[in-house]
Amino acid sequence: MTVQAQTKSKLAKPDLSGFLSWVMTVDHKRIGIMYLLTAVVFFMFGGIEALLMRIQLMQPENKFLSPDVYNQIFTMHGTTMIFLAVMPLAAGFGNYFVPLMIGARDMAFPKLNALSYWTYLFAGAFMYSSFFLGGAPNDGWFSYAPLTEPLYSPTHGMDFWIMGILLLGFATTIGSINFIVTIIQLRAPGMTLTRMPAFVWAQFVTAFLAVFSLPSLTTAVMLLLLDRQLGAHFFNVAEGGSAILWQHLFWFFGHPEVYILILPAMGIVSEVIPVFSGKPLFGYTAVVFSMIAIGFLGFTVWAHHMFATGMPATTLLFFAGDTFLISAPTGALFVAWLGTIWKGKLRFSSPMLFSLGFVAMFLIGGLDGVHLAVVPVDWQLTDTYYVVAHLHYVLFGGAIFGIFSGIYYWFPKMTGRRLGEALGKWHFWFFFIGMNLVFMPMHVLGLEGMPRRIYTYGTGRGWEIWNFVETIGAMIIALGVLIFLINFFVSIRKAATSEADAWDGFTLEWKAASPPLVYNFAEIPSVRSRRPLWDEKHPELADWKMENK
Amino acid sequence: MSALSQSQAHPMSKLSTGKVALFIILISESVFFTTLLVAYAALRDQNSWLIDHSLARLTIPLINTAILLLSVIPAWYAVVNIRNENQSVLLISLIATFMLGLVFVAGQVYEFNHAGFHINDQAFGGVFFTLMGFHALHVIAGEVFLVINIIRTRLGDFSSSAYSPVEISTWFWYYVTVVWLVLFIALYII
Repeated sequence: MTVQAQTKSKLAKPDLSGFLSWVMTVDHKRIGIMYLLTAVVFFMFGGIEALLMRIQLMQPENKFLSPDVYNQIFTMHGTTMIFLAVMPLAAGFGNYFVPLMIGARDMAFPKLNALSYWTYLFAGAFMYSSFFLGGAPNDGWFSYAPLTEPLYSPTHGMDFWIMGILLLGFATTIGSINFIVTIIQLRAPGMTLTRMPAFVWAQFVTAFLAVFSLPSLTTAVMLLLLDRQLGAHFFNVAEGGSAILWQHLFWFFGHPEVYILILPAMGIVSEVIPVFSGKPLFGYTAVVFSMIAIGFLGFTVWAHHMFATGMPATTLLFFAGDTFLISAPTGALFVAWLGTIWKGKLRFSSPMLFSLGFVAMFLIGGLDGVHLAVVPVDWQLTDTYYVVAHLHYVLFGGAIFGIFSGIYYWFPKMTGRRLGEALGKWHFWFFFIGMNLVFMPMHVLGLEGMPRRIYTYGTGRGWEIWNFVETIGAMIIALGVLIFLINFFVSIRKAATSEADAWDGFTLEWKAASPPLVYNFAEIPSVRSRRPLWDEKHPELADWKMENK
Repeated sequence: MSALSQSQAHPMSKLSTGKVALFIILISESVFFTTLLVAYAALRDQNSWLIDHSLARLTIPLINTAILLLSVIPAWYAVVNIRNENQSVLLISLIATFMLGLVFVAGQVYEFNHAGFHINDQAFGGVFFTLMGFHALHVIAGEVFLVINIIRTRLGDFSSSAYSPVEISTWFWYYVTVVWLVLFIALYII
């Protein structure tokens, strides 16, 4: 092996230490950690914004936030959680674990990887600077034209949003190209596509979704920028533009985006559940094909966000039917997760709890989605709190639970220490109970007709009690975050145990040291089945031997 | 790329990493141009369009089309020659492609100034200049790749066994040409 020579050449470089060594790094693991830490900070920002909104809505006719500030807060909450928290959290895990799980030493383009992270950090800081520079964006995270045209949004908030989104789109696109090339090019010997871990598959599909869908968002915001800054008329009906064009361009990105947010979480859950059930993933092939199918179908359903815009009946029918179709591959994933748990030797550690929470909560979110795909129901419920309930069951109960499952699962690999188990369980229950208190009553409010994005409401509509309960739930979630932070800081100060295989895992990342060395593996591993580490630990029961029988 | 990743064994794939990346980038670019064209189609559907179809009006665009099509030949010839280790012809071919590209950009600048309308003239002005402008930016990007490769040829970086960057820049050039043909037909002919 040439590893020694390579290690020496690494050492020969100027030996940077401390802060500068992080700024200059192109190591996928350090970039992954920077992604995760930055995204957790933005997750807190988004969470504080959510708390502010909940405090404002706790009582009718509340004067805590002015309508103008409220608009900025809900816009930045959505934008933050989607673009600055969940996507980069998934990118952080992807950066750290995709190369490890496929037995590679780094990403295909380490410098592009660093560029991608720094662009993301700059874009996030840039967007948040708008709060101090004349007002944050205030037209909602999907920024519908013509509301966003200069006539109706005269502050620079929208311009901050547009430039920020362009930068984030750039960062995500080069990041995704990096993932795709890495997965195609750098797999260890024997790591065929059909042996790749489910999480790697999820990142692979996600990267394709990003590369195919982000250009549509780029087009949309670019046209909006030209409208706002150079006086073009893309979305100005009076001058021959089209208002509905924004919605089509935006949602052609926006719907795949939903799967960009949820697929990595599905991948994490598909890693955690098998390990904590002591069984291989049930229906691996079905899981992979389901993820690919979800990816494809995700591109064909965008107009279900636009049922209320007055589309022809055949169009409505097509998009409704198509949306139902997504239930099929999603249902297959549920079968796979439940089939894995079935008769397994279950260990209810924190990662497993969050994964099981994911399965239950994502199911509710998914079923809500089916309701909203029914056109007449959607006409009744569109832009009400029912939609807010749906998207939070999917993105909080789904994406965030999956991501926290990943944090608890991979923390020992990244730091050489485990997160405290007792605090982890407290964290889980605070999240689980809190989120159901916040988002379950939103179904009722939606059915009772409470519109989303209103900054206050009158008395006597029967909305007070549910809004009050929701605010209590939001506080419980905030306490959960606090418990997590305490757990994090307590655990990181403990002496490192550096156990390589903290959970009796199956995949290659558990073969590397904890935390892994710069070059990950002294010797590139070779792979003969979907559970290479299981094979190594149980040579007589190795998966590839079983396959041959 | 770091020394580690370049030298690491990746026997599961025999493709060139740069080419795989280029392929993905071009897919992404195609979605970008397609969505712009969709915007064009959607807006065109409900408006009168200002482009005059007479031959006089089409002179500059037609000349530009011819120049860009012509530039594909030296681009292709560059790759053929580096395969035969012919460094001097490689250099001349790359320079020829680059010069033809420059002429095209100059022609576009002229065309933009003489279009007879501006970006803020109705929706059409916006569509026209956005599509043409983004294409022009891609031509300029292609020119930058060519300049880098011209310098690297002078430095003797390429040989018959290592010329992937040359291929990548010429593929990008072909792509830019194909996009031009689509835009030319969409904006001037139809």
